[in-house]
Amino acid sequence: MKRMRPNAAALSGLVLFAVFAGAAVFADLLAPFDPWRRFEPYRSPDAGHLLGTNDIGNDVLSELVYGGRATLVVGLGTGLIAVLIGTAAGVLAGYFGGAPDEVLMGMTDAVLMIPRIPAVIIIGALLKPTAPAIALILGLLWWTGTARVVRSRVLQIRRMPFILGQKALGFTDARIMLTDVLPHLAPIVAPKLTLTVASAMITEASLSFLGLGDASAKSWGTMIRFAFERGGFIRGMWWWYAAPGAAVTLCVLSLALIGSALAERSDPLAAGPPG
Amino acid sequence: MPGDPVGNLAGPEASFSAEEMQELRAELGLDLPLGVQYARYWASLARLDLGFSYRYRMSVAALIGSRLGWTMLLLVPSLLIGTAAGAGLGAAAGWRAERPASRLANAAALTLSSMPPYFLALVLLYLLSFRLGLFPLKGYYAVPTAADTLRHLVLPVLVLSLFTAARDFTIMRGSVLAERKRPYVTFALSKGLRENQVLGRHVFRNASLPLVTMAAMDFGFIVGGALFVEIAFSMEGMGTLIWEAVKARDYPVLQGAFLCVSLMVMAANVLADLCYALIDPRVRTMR
Repeated sequence: MKRMRPNAAALSGLVLFAVFAGAAVFADLLAPFDPWRRFEPYRSPDAGHLLGTNDIGNDVLSELVYGGRATLVVGLGTGLIAVLIGTAAGVLAGYFGGAPDEVLMGMTDAVLMIPRIPAVIIIGALLKPTAPAIALILGLLWWTGTARVVRSRVLQIRRMPFILGQKALGFTDARIMLTDVLPHLAPIVAPKLTLTVASAMITEASLSFLGLGDASAKSWGTMIRFAFERGGFIRGMWWWYAAPGAAVTLCVLSLALIGSALAERSDPLAAGPPG
Repeated sequence: MPGDPVGNLAGPEASFSAEEMQELRAELGLDLPLGVQYARYWASLARLDLGFSYRYRMSVAALIGSRLGWTMLLLVPSLLIGTAAGAGLGAAAGWRAERPASRLANAAALTLSSMPPYFLALVLLYLLSFRLGLFPLKGYYAVPTAADTLRHLVLPVLVLSLFTAARDFTIMRGSVLAERKRPYVTFALSKGLRENQVLGRHVFRNASLPLVTMAAMDFGFIVGGALFVEIAFSMEGMGTLIWEAVKARDYPVLQGAFLCVSLMVMAANVLADLCYALIDPRVRTMR
């Protein structure tokens, strides 16, 4: 076990993510106004409205605080679903080998070939999904990377003496997989989880930018879309779209920092970009 | 799938009797069982007939043909510039990871790859085109000449190259970091090669293998990015085609465009496998 070195980048990522998560959970207490309440539209930032108001007079700062909810729900939901499916597929394929391996990895390769963003745009347009439904759709498309790294790790683990010993003692496969194999996967699953959440958050912000997100909720992508379409651009109201844009970027960045620090500890190669 | 194609084809202002609607459905084969419709879809696919766009009133194959070239014009230069820049800078940053410049570049790459591509497009569009007037605001061209098209392409290609480079940078940096610890590096250094020679002659080639695999898997992502860049810059390519088809419920166009993008992703993966054999002699001699 390597000694845990305090990593400044990972630490700042943690703090940053805690800020966004806290703002989303306690939005009712933190937001200065109800994000749907109408004031005078197109106001520049001043003491009353720190980030001004939008085209229909909603307070931009309040929208910003509430807007994180959609992104975080989709991001975390996708991450959990994708990692659950991916870990299950990877463990089963790696542990049993043979036919289960062929079938599961064949499925992984097939899903991997689906162009995700176009697929999500089309499904989103047809189903008009809510935030949890978007998380489910993304989760069903995003698990392949986890499945691959988990499988290759399990292939190494299953030949180790402590697993062979458990087998010789007559423990069932299910028990060995759950109590002996799974705990050893944490170092590679943890970075995958954070990077999957990060990439799902970018996707949510992109979907809602196209107007395909959860229409009943405020979201950062929707804010940027309205600023772009309804005059934030021409009027030079850069704070209207720069604030949600910076929020998405920083929120994703916080997870990318945590994820790449986790990954560099176990395997520098796994420290790819979010996605 | 929700939405009635016949209703959309007729348009909101048209008033047809139920009988006429039924006739139109029969003519389009929409009243047949789904299985039969699906078989007919494959049969026409074999003839390269992707169907008829309800919205544009032209064949989907011709429509995609007219748009795909433009998207390629955006995609191919961005991929080449982005991959070259990302791989080169990433290798340098991984090789001398302790330098402040390397850390700064790494932070910049992480930030860029955390940004939705359309946001980067909008910020640059606002600053460089709208404020400073350096580049045109929208489209692939205003007058259809090569020079004007090139002028319109600079900013979108810059955005997509940055987006690609940032992803390749992080992959290449990690790969070189791992490769740096291998014994052959120590050997090459101790036999007297200078650091840059070791990187250029030995490490870069070995470290680029994961990049090739990842870049192929990333291709779908970059295509996704290209779609958003097109939408942000209002460029008439595949991205705007898909986007308009989504809004108009133009199913044949969606199907055709999705098929086309999927084929592109598969082609990229085959290409990556070929590159792999080119870089790694072991792959050629195996089997």
